Amino acid sequence: MMSQRYISTSIRRLAISLLLFLTAHSASAQLKFFSLQKDTIPVFRGFALSFDMVGLLMNQLSDHGEYEGAFRLNLHDEWFPIVEVGYGRANHTDDPVTGIRYETKAPYFRIGIDKNMLKKKHGPNRLYMGLRYAFTSYDVDLSTDNFPDPVWLWDTGFGVKGEKCNYHWLEIVVGVDAKIYGPLHLGWSARYKRRIAHDDGSIGNTWYVPGFGIGGGTRLGGTFNVIIDI
Amino acid sequence: MRRLPIILLSLLAMACSSIDCPVNNIVSTQYVICDKDGAEMKLSDTLSILTRRMDDTITVLNRLVQKATFSLQISYSHPEDELFFVFYKGPVYTIDTVWIKKDDYPHFESVDCNAAFFHTLTGVRYTTHYIDSIVIKNTSVNYDVSTVHFHLYPKVSN
Repeated sequence: MMSQRYISTSIRRLAISLLLFLTAHSASAQLKFFSLQKDTIPVFRGFALSFDMVGLLMNQLSDHGEYEGAFRLNLHDEWFPIVEVGYGRANHTDDPVTGIRYETKAPYFRIGIDKNMLKKKHGPNRLYMGLRYAFTSYDVDLSTDNFPDPVWLWDTGFGVKGEKCNYHWLEIVVGVDAKIYGPLHLGWSARYKRRIAHDDGSIGNTWYVPGFGIGGGTRLGGTFNVIIDI
Repeated sequence: MRRLPIILLSLLAMACSSIDCPVNNIVSTQYVICDKDGAEMKLSDTLSILTRRMDDTITVLNRLVQKATFSLQISYSHPEDELFFVFYKGPVYTIDTVWIKKDDYPHFESVDCNAAFFHTLTGVRYTTHYIDSIVIKNTSVNYDVSTVHFHLYPKVSN
């Protein structure tokens, strides 16, 4: 009985020691992740202005798209607080199947931070991972031509005008940024978007949401950026 | 760096989009026939329901027999539907007229899905030849077919 108690005490001590070691290790790893590298480079390293080409192209080629720009601070080539501002619009007219017209246009805003994941932080190229909180408030116009009720045959109008809606979502961002010439950089980002709150007004759902894209709970998006890094 | 393709593929798999039109896209009202104690009761007589539409009268429920529940479509945007409940007992029939008043709301899913209307029931009137009373149990009419909207009580002698 005595030897069993000693074994049980030893196992408990070992387990507690391991737990403490792992906690301390994880805490120190977290601190290391968030702290700046120690070197002679100053903390404030400038800022960058960027413009998204994907939304611009979508605007030209489809019935919805965005104009988007961003302002990004450079802290020690490691952390990059960022504000993204855009203007999204959709003008879906006369759907060939349902005949529904959907129109909206509104600004949207994102705020977040990127972390340079490369080991050589001060090089000309960067690999980012980041997080954004995004918000838009938009009005929806929805209409169809009058159509007959399938049973009663009376002509029926369908639509709303200026329906007030809003959307809040988070984005996980992975991106790259490469120096081309002087202050000119090019880069792209892939984004996983997840809605966190929304109000679709009285109509049930909305289709295109400025900045988010075609509505729903989750969505994958991307940007191709022309960047002026100063 | 080696994990980046895996992360990107995982994100892609999680974010697939699709056309989300509902499988059940019929908006209808559900009726339950009840005895005087409120228990579900199979109707022993045959029931047909007709309605007046723009140009004529049509049958919307044809010869319901030995059933305690049934569903009826509701007009998209007419303020009040007028229904004729015809109860057959052999060659003899009795007609009651029912008027259902409602508010109509456009309901939108996506530009890929057909336009639909949801409704809020605001009142029901009826004649009382065969029907004793009709009670609204739930005012909200939408895609949910499990919600009972009306309890229909025939007269006790029926």
